[in-house]
Amino acid sequence: MTMVQTTPVWRWEANRITAVTALALLPALAMAVAERGGAMIGPVALALGVWAVWAGMFARLRGQPLAWDMIVPALVFVLMLPGAVPLWQQGVALSFGLVLGGLIFGARGRGFVNPAVVALAFLLFSFPGATAGQPGLGVAIGAGLGGAVLLLLGLISGRVVLGFGLGLAALMALQPAPDWAALTSATLALGLVFLIADPVAAACTNVGRWVYGGLAGALVAVLGAGAAGVGALAPVVFAALLASVFAALIDQMVIAANVRYRKGRQHHG
Amino acid sequence: MPGMTQADVGPAEVRPDGAVRCVAVLARDYPDVIFDLRVAEGDKVLAGQALCHDRARPEICLVSPVAGRVSHISFGARRRLARIDIAVQADSDAARRFDTLVPQDDGAGLRRLLQQAGAWASFRTRPFGHLPDPDASPAAIFVIAAMADPRLLDTELLHRGMAALKLLTPGPLILCQPPGPPLLPEDDRLRLARFSGPSRAAGPMIHRMMPVSRQRMVWQATAQDVVAIGHLLACGQIMGTRVVTRAGQGPVVLPLGAVLDRASQPCLGRYDLHLDDAAADQRLPVWKRLLARLPQAKGAAMLPLESFERAFPFAILPAPLMRALACGDVETAERLGCLELLEEDVASLGALCPSGSDYGAMLRRVLRSLAQEVRA
Repeated sequence: MTMVQTTPVWRWEANRITAVTALALLPALAMAVAERGGAMIGPVALALGVWAVWAGMFARLRGQPLAWDMIVPALVFVLMLPGAVPLWQQGVALSFGLVLGGLIFGARGRGFVNPAVVALAFLLFSFPGATAGQPGLGVAIGAGLGGAVLLLLGLISGRVVLGFGLGLAALMALQPAPDWAALTSATLALGLVFLIADPVAAACTNVGRWVYGGLAGALVAVLGAGAAGVGALAPVVFAALLASVFAALIDQMVIAANVRYRKGRQHHG
Repeated sequence: MPGMTQADVGPAEVRPDGAVRCVAVLARDYPDVIFDLRVAEGDKVLAGQALCHDRARPEICLVSPVAGRVSHISFGARRRLARIDIAVQADSDAARRFDTLVPQDDGAGLRRLLQQAGAWASFRTRPFGHLPDPDASPAAIFVIAAMADPRLLDTELLHRGMAALKLLTPGPLILCQPPGPPLLPEDDRLRLARFSGPSRAAGPMIHRMMPVSRQRMVWQATAQDVVAIGHLLACGQIMGTRVVTRAGQGPVVLPLGAVLDRASQPCLGRYDLHLDDAAADQRLPVWKRLLARLPQAKGAAMLPLESFERAFPFAILPAPLMRALACGDVETAERLGCLELLEEDVASLGALCPSGSDYGAMLRRVLRSLAQEVRA
């Protein structure tokens, strides 16, 4: 049955998603400010400045209005930074992430990785050593709160989150002495909610979401099996990066199975 | 029915909507058809009088649903007919009479009658959503009864219409109805199927029971259109009205193509049976209204959300399909199953997608190039 619609339907338009995701980030940000105090001012200002410069430049080059969506990965980057990274290193890494992980693709949804993941991976590769210091439990709770809101609104996938939990728990259970306490790490919570569950980076089919989430969780457990532990920055970032690279492949396998299934139905139906 | 309260009976009272003073026939309801006019502006027309015919298949006519006067004819791109407006003549029910003696058991005669009387437009093919060819015969005909209320649907005429449809196909007729007592008794050709879930659309039913392909074509029609065919066979006149449900209100009887608002001129499409009025949208929560004040992003892309799968009752993967449609990848779209879909099936995806793209229009472009490929 078709219908005549006399009023437009409310929908999750891109700027609305950006606004709500940014709001969902606020509890974690507030907790980080409460924990670290004035030390957060510099990095946050720098991240906003870097965002404004690059987003403004791309908007100007393309003759388009400013796109706001990169603010979220810029702030996530700041929140997940280890304690003592010089500001210039932060600026270089964030520039790399925003440009190559997001802006060059044109708009949110056209890329395949989260820009914050690219920035953090760049930072970890280029400036190793600065991994001491971690956001505390408050930030983890804040991130969990934001994640719950995004889940309720359907902006991140429950399948990815559950798949992640299952994959992580399964592989940790196989280890001789799993460090279950590491699961309360703020890095892990932020990474799951804002990096791994980001619909841009995740698989785009329902079966694919389970597999993608499971893969990301398993990778965190495997990469975190060493001295650093699953709550550290490197395992979370590299698991997110690897999983999002594999997301397209996972989707292609789901598509192939779906095509086969529908072909079979066509012959028998 | 036992246990029914007054409130249940209430909305089923159909009231004719006397306010309709204008109806319109829209060419966009019939994709890929070029029409040649048979009337001019100012002409008086009878209900059932041909207004235009398909240039490629001149047997297929569109007729006026009401008696009145052709008030305006508008043309679109390439000077193609876009819309014929007819001012309703309130005091007249002058209708063209059709000779219904021949077709009772003769398929060719029935086809001729349906084509002359505009009832051929009751059928849409899947794949492609075209008006069927005059002598085509589908693998099955799906008849969609969105409402199973016998007070709204004349089962006697429905029976008569279904009997006629049996002459058009060697395959089964599948009457899809909401759960409840059967609308018609089943027989060797007529099968009943019940909707599961809230959707009352043809697409998911056909997808589930008889997936279409390049090799298999089915037709779909609404039960009201089949009733109208029964009416045509019984009285020799067209039935130009349909029962239309309205969000928040009871069903109303409206002429086909009723122009609902003279200022903005939206009108009922040929296959529209439901009106979604402003009333349903007014109760948005505050936070949604606040967010709605943000400016809209330009050039936004599709963001694959889980809600797409929930709103898409097909075993077709919505996000990959939307991507294929958005970049016009005909080959991938076909592999993903776009032949099984029409505009109405992807409308829900367009309403959910952050990009605000019109997936119906994109699907149409892909279907058009696939149809050309099949024809070649």
